[in-house]
Amino acid sequence: MKVDRRSFLSFILGGAAGTALSPLPWKLTDDFSIWSQNWPWTPVPQKGEISYVNSACTLCPGGCGISVKKVDERVIKIEGLKGHPVNDGGLCILGLAGAQLLYGATRIQTPIKKVNGRWQKLSWKEAITELAARLKELRAKGSAHTVACVAGSDRGTVPELFSRFLAVYGSPNFFRTPSIWDSYELALYLTQGTRSMAGFDIENADFILSFGSGLIEGWGSPGYMFRAKGLLRKNGGRMDQIESRLSKTAAKSDHWIAINPGTEGALALGLAYVIIKEGLYNQNFIDQYTTGFSDRKKRVIDGFPPEIVSKMTGISTGTIVALAKDFARARKPLAICGQGQGHLPGNLQEFLAVHTLNALVGNINQPGGVWAVPEPDYIDWPELEMDGVASEGLQQTRIDGAGSYRYPNARYLLHRLPQVVNASDESPVQVLFVVDANPVYSLQDTASVKKAFEKIPFVVSFSSYMNETTALADLVLPNHVFLERYEDVPVAYGFPKPIIGLARPAIEPLYNTRYVGDVVIQLAKELGHAIGAAFPWADYATCLEETLSDNWDTLVEEGYVVDAEFNGTDLADAFETDSAKFEFNNNEIRTLAGYNPVKAEGDEASYPLLLVPYDTMRLASGYVGSPPFLVKALEDTILTGSQVLVEVNPATAKQLGLSEGKTANLTTPKGAARVKVHLSNGIMPGVVAIPRGLGHTAYDKFLAGKGVNYNQLSSPVEDPASGHDAAWGIRAKLSRA
Amino acid sequence: MENAKKFGMVIDLDKCTGCGACMVACMAENNIPFRADNTDKMLSISWMHVYKLNNRKLFPDYEECYLPRPCQHCEGHGGHSPCVSVCPATATDYDMDTGIVSQIYPRCFGCRYCMAACPYHVRQFNWWDPLWPDGMEKMLNPSVSVRMRGVVEKCSFCIQRYQQAKDRAYMEGRREIAEDEYQTACTQACPAGAIVFGDLNNPEHAVHQLAQPDPARHGHSKNPRAFRLLERLGTNTKIYYLSSREWVRKAGDNYLEGEFKSKAHS
Amino acid sequence: MDSALIPKGVKRCPAWQFIMWIGANGAVLTWGVFALLLVYFKGLNQTNMNNAYGFALWIWADLAVIALGGGAFFTGFLRYIVGKDELKNIINYAVLIGFICYSSALMILGFDIGQPLRGWFIFWHANVHSMLTEVAFCLTAYFGVLAIEYAPLVFENRMIKKVPFFHNLSHNMHEIMAVFAATGAFLSFFHQGSLGGVPGVLFGRPFGFREGVLVWPWTFFLFTWSAAAAGPCFTILITKITEAVTRKKLVKDNVIDLLAKISGWMLFFYIIAKIGDTLYWANVTAPSKGSTFMDFYTSSSGSAYGLWILFAEIGVCGVLPALILIIPKLRKTQATLWLAVILAVIGLCLNRWVMVLQVLAIPVLTFESWFTYFPSWQEIATTILPVAYGVIMISTSYRYLPIFPQERELNPIDEPAAPPEVAESEPEPTDAGPEPELSPAES
Ligand SMILES: Nc1nc2c(c(=O)[nH]1)N[C@H]1C(S)=C(S)[C@@H](COP(=O)(O)OP(=O)(O)OC[C@H]3O[C@@H](n4cnc5c(=O)[nH]c(N)nc54)[C@H](O)[C@@H]3O)O[C@H]1N2
Ligand SMILES: Nc1nc2c(c(=O)[nH]1)N[C@H]1C(S)=C(S)[C@@H](COP(=O)(O)OP(=O)(O)OC[C@H]3O[C@@H](n4cnc5c(=O)[nH]c(N)nc54)[C@H](O)[C@@H]3O)O[C@H]1N2
Ligand code: SF4
Ligand code: SF4
Ligand code: SF4
Ligand code: SF4
Ligand code: SF4
Ligand SMILES: [Mo]
Repeated sequence: MKVDRRSFLSFILGGAAGTALSPLPWKLTDDFSIWSQNWPWTPVPQKGEISYVNSACTLCPGGCGISVKKVDERVIKIEGLKGHPVNDGGLCILGLAGAQLLYGATRIQTPIKKVNGRWQKLSWKEAITELAARLKELRAKGSAHTVACVAGSDRGTVPELFSRFLAVYGSPNFFRTPSIWDSYELALYLTQGTRSMAGFDIENADFILSFGSGLIEGWGSPGYMFRAKGLLRKNGGRMDQIESRLSKTAAKSDHWIAINPGTEGALALGLAYVIIKEGLYNQNFIDQYTTGFSDRKKRVIDGFPPEIVSKMTGISTGTIVALAKDFARARKPLAICGQGQGHLPGNLQEFLAVHTLNALVGNINQPGGVWAVPEPDYIDWPELEMDGVASEGLQQTRIDGAGSYRYPNARYLLHRLPQVVNASDESPVQVLFVVDANPVYSLQDTASVKKAFEKIPFVVSFSSYMNETTALADLVLPNHVFLERYEDVPVAYGFPKPIIGLARPAIEPLYNTRYVGDVVIQLAKELGHAIGAAFPWADYATCLEETLSDNWDTLVEEGYVVDAEFNGTDLADAFETDSAKFEFNNNEIRTLAGYNPVKAEGDEASYPLLLVPYDTMRLASGYVGSPPFLVKALEDTILTGSQVLVEVNPATAKQLGLSEGKTANLTTPKGAARVKVHLSNGIMPGVVAIPRGLGHTAYDKFLAGKGVNYNQLSSPVEDPASGHDAAWGIRAKLSRA
Repeated sequence: MENAKKFGMVIDLDKCTGCGACMVACMAENNIPFRADNTDKMLSISWMHVYKLNNRKLFPDYEECYLPRPCQHCEGHGGHSPCVSVCPATATDYDMDTGIVSQIYPRCFGCRYCMAACPYHVRQFNWWDPLWPDGMEKMLNPSVSVRMRGVVEKCSFCIQRYQQAKDRAYMEGRREIAEDEYQTACTQACPAGAIVFGDLNNPEHAVHQLAQPDPARHGHSKNPRAFRLLERLGTNTKIYYLSSREWVRKAGDNYLEGEFKSKAHS
Repeated sequence: MDSALIPKGVKRCPAWQFIMWIGANGAVLTWGVFALLLVYFKGLNQTNMNNAYGFALWIWADLAVIALGGGAFFTGFLRYIVGKDELKNIINYAVLIGFICYSSALMILGFDIGQPLRGWFIFWHANVHSMLTEVAFCLTAYFGVLAIEYAPLVFENRMIKKVPFFHNLSHNMHEIMAVFAATGAFLSFFHQGSLGGVPGVLFGRPFGFREGVLVWPWTFFLFTWSAAAAGPCFTILITKITEAVTRKKLVKDNVIDLLAKISGWMLFFYIIAKIGDTLYWANVTAPSKGSTFMDFYTSSSGSAYGLWILFAEIGVCGVLPALILIIPKLRKTQATLWLAVILAVIGLCLNRWVMVLQVLAIPVLTFESWFTYFPSWQEIATTILPVAYGVIMISTSYRYLPIFPQERELNPIDEPAAPPEVAESEPEPTDAGPEPELSPAES
């Protein structure tokens, strides 16, 4: 066939038309479209059976109930447990992001030990045998007391297993990480004679006077405080915040009263002055249930007239008087204290002063008041049989001196541990266990803590994550994360009723991790003799179930047991002091009843500003590192790129020649850091505020290297009254970079 | 369409604590990706964003307020939402039956016209491939598809929960779902109980009672504590905010001098 | 060496010089293509756009380039519909510039989307209510028209013309060119307008939003009008630049003068309309949304948008060039003519910038602040790419195609006996009008 131009063209055109009419282009187009929607690197979540596991969150001592949503064997989300007495379906930002901790990239997947500075995997059996050998050796040398343990809590089966282990092994050196609850415990003990926890019936109060407590920023049980604050509001209650910075709590209060940081106790006493002077106190309560009032009255009247208090606090006398009157005249006034989320124990005198305000208005063990919530009593294990080494070891004074002549009232003084270790030629701690704590990050004066940890010959971490402390450890025995394990949750800080929760595994452990409880039991068995005998359980699960015997079924079914009827003890029997009354004064209080503000470290001439840390719900600042969702949700006025922003009053910034977003050098007696400046009228002139929870050196790219750790810039200041760390800030200098 | 629903929210700013739980609840529910650096909020995706407002006064008269902002699910007039009408590829839609402004990710080709149209910065673009660190993709919710690079996404009022609730009701032989059967993830998570969600058309629902929408004035609230964002633009949004503070209510819209009239008597 | 391709009767620079020139522009083009590939493979994160600036440099370039290419449709409109016959001497070049502008615009639109592979969804899932849909359809159709208008010019190349098929095709196309020109003018009217509609319909963005008639906001008409007014200025400007570069007169003054005069009057009435629009918007539209005029022109931190931009657009780059162009004496003076067309072009670009980027920079929520943006090098490179492409297109077209019908007349080659292999050697009657085949866009 001759192909002329005409037939060629017809062929081309006909072909084109034919193709266009055939299904081919449409099919290709469709395929193309689908292909463009199915990039192989975009994950496709598998469908499956949806189920929920009710459990408890252990990411903070808040004690929230959670409902873990699963698709087949995947945990996809954590939601709040509806009807739970603490959080009733709501959940904090950290709890919501909990699944990211389960699947997080920095989980430790198997036991590891450090050999010549490098991590090496080992089996559980090897790890426990090795550790046991070391402990046996120490014990044989008569150095049993050089074994110490730092735990995030001293309540519940896991901490109790550790302290039991230490006791029967022969060491008094069990430490709990510091918090305001050290001071609250002590204030309650001194005035009421009970070893109990402070609980606050926020929802039934009608006036919350907060001395810097981050009521909605993680103070106490965040889950409860959020809900209770909402209920307080709903009932028309008032909330006033006394703080040098407009925290979120201050912003959500009826009044924000800016105060010179570190003088809160003076204000409490100044309010007491007005209340006493004006006769606004609860005469009935004072007469019937208290002693030492007249002595207290004299001290207050002599020492804290509004004029003096006004000078100290920077608050006008008018405000002090009006506030005192409003407080005393409220139906259910409730004063609370402890800075921010409560990471630092604080000034005992301040706690006594604030607690005394509640006593003046008679709001103790009352609805809408402060309750002495008894410590959980379900742990009732067989009496310990001590051998000679153990008895001898327990005779030794604690390394931190707690309970000694110098610090008679303190139970744990963890902040002193690095000081003592660094001051000794040979470390007084030879083996250190760290469980549910990250002291290398969370204790003040990080450099000195680090130095001490490096000096301690053998640090054992039970962390599930490669955090700062674990990075310095010699042996890591990783625990299951909270979604993989059983654990009792014995307390919800600040919750006004006794409550026990139960964390239950929502998922089989992902890695070769192990219950710390099991590790302690196995370690004890490996050591044998009296030590092994002290742990009669086959494993942790048996121990837990036996320990919770009465409550076990309810806990498994409901996830919690609450003494809903708890309304304290009859006031007549509530106080276990010698006088069986609330004691405004007694031998111990006599030395504490005044008020000496704790000074921030550093001299004013070189460091004209005050640096104070602040807490935000959007950062985890305890032993849990913030998961990626939290950092993502962080405001850009806190972090930009990897630089933290510090808050400065525009007037202060102007004097320093700084403006919004400018980089500056922040220097304290303890260290220096590069920061950016964020101007805010929500902070007192002369004060610089920095968020807690940043500046991690460990963890992954979502957290590490972002911002500055406040603890790196600060240092502990010892409270002369208790020995606790009472620092609230540190002097600082800010200059243009 | 007499039975048409109009899902909406009332967010009580007096209750909101700015904690951010709603943001994370949404991220977890809706498979929102995260990156090593998410500090540039204009490059980062968060269907819920909590704004920090202030009264523009000096210390110590300075005040702050937090304002959570999901998609406002604008109805405009007659379903003419700012963003829906502009999308050239019909990749977003106003559902007359639910009032939900939906987004069809596989159809969106990323022209971003809808972003320009939305004055609330609700619409966000996938500038990067959504990548999950190894293992973390296990927590993805299979009820919500993962979006790809180059498309726009936004708050859906957790539409998958609506579908699931409808499915459940259907299986149980019911035609209607109850108020508590369809609740968004942020509403459920808010520890302060600041968010209320439901059908604005249903007088039984708490949102209706709080929002008190006036049908004669395009849903303008009769509640003196309530306001909507940029109501004057005619976006006719379905998120109502409550505040007892006048400066907060005023911050919800633009006003000429002396134009703002406080409705509250407090 | 390429002399066989060069039109008869005109003089072109030596091949080496041409190759160097193309090479230099090719380097810029390559840089742009490299950036383009980065954008294609890595995505729009290669830009500095963000969720506030979803539209940025590229969309501005798009709008600007289309507006500038408006010289094609309006000159075509004047030539074919109104019957301004002199314009046949510049229509080829107007078409070429239009073709470059529109192909650039389509290319920019092609990579300015997050999912380039789905770009065709705009046709497939078209939402007829969207201004962008209207833009896409009309733009593509008009680009087709421009291609058809440009094609005969290509077929006029000496070598291509030798193929009878192309010769015939070209001839047949000439005959129906008026139809295409009319269609083009109609399409242009709509897509220029739709581009104006893009910001105009954004009722959530008070700075862009405009009332209007039926579904069209005022910006719809203003955009068409301004493109018609300033587009020809761009044609004149490029012609003038080409003349300067080639050091030849290519179009007679009376042609330029006519186009400049019409342009001037268009601009004059446009600017009156624009001022009216601004006044109405400032006094009625903006206040009804709770904003004062000055809310949009703060020079507070983060904002480059002061009142200066309005004065620049309307006064310096609007009223001033309009006056120059309508005053015969100024219009006929080369220096002021240059000034006027440059200002008009800047004014048009400024208008498009303001109508896209300022709209997005302004915080509408009272608790937000001005948004800032500066393009990334990838955006800049890909925006310069069309310029290099345009230069190459013009240079090549000028060298090989009979673009300027008056060139031979204006630039007689006085050396008649050149070496035989040089094509220009054939003498041309200097006083004769252009031969039909030299004005292919006409029938
Ligand atoms: N009750 C109720 N039921 C309905 C509907 C309703 O309105 N109500 N609507 C119906 C309609 S219209 C539809 S389309 C269906 C939708 O129903 P489905 O198609 O089941 O739902 P999708 O949520 O769209 O997600 C599909 C799955 O695809 C995954 N996916 C995402 N991207 C990719 C990918 O690139 N590749 C692969 N392989 N998978 C991917 C998602 O993660 C998800 O698991 O539901 C129908 N069912
Ligand atoms: N965020 C998000 N957005 C999405 C999706 C998603 O998964 N997530 N999915 C996308 C997909 S795949 C789809 S198909 C769309 C669905 O989007 P829509 O089409 O808006 O889906 P429906 O909500 O099912 O709405 C259909 C409506 O039709 C009504 N209807 C039912 N039967 C009839 C009838 O016989 N006649 C009439 N006139 N009406 C009837 C129903 O009452 C219902 O209100 O949503 C898209 N948008
Ligand atoms: S408040 Fe504490 S216990 Fe409750 S969810 Fe948050 S981290 Fe968990
Ligand atoms: S979760 Fe509730 S309280 Fe927290 S920011 Fe969101 S709306 Fe506000
Ligand atoms: S808030 Fe924005 S995205 Fe949501 S419906 Fe309105 S315009 Fe659209
Ligand atoms: S970005 Fe997607 S949803 Fe938005 S207008 Fe373009 S195609 Fe539509
Ligand atoms: S309604 Fe759903 S999608 Fe929207 S912000 Fe809340 S959780 Fe996110
Ligand atoms: Mo669908």
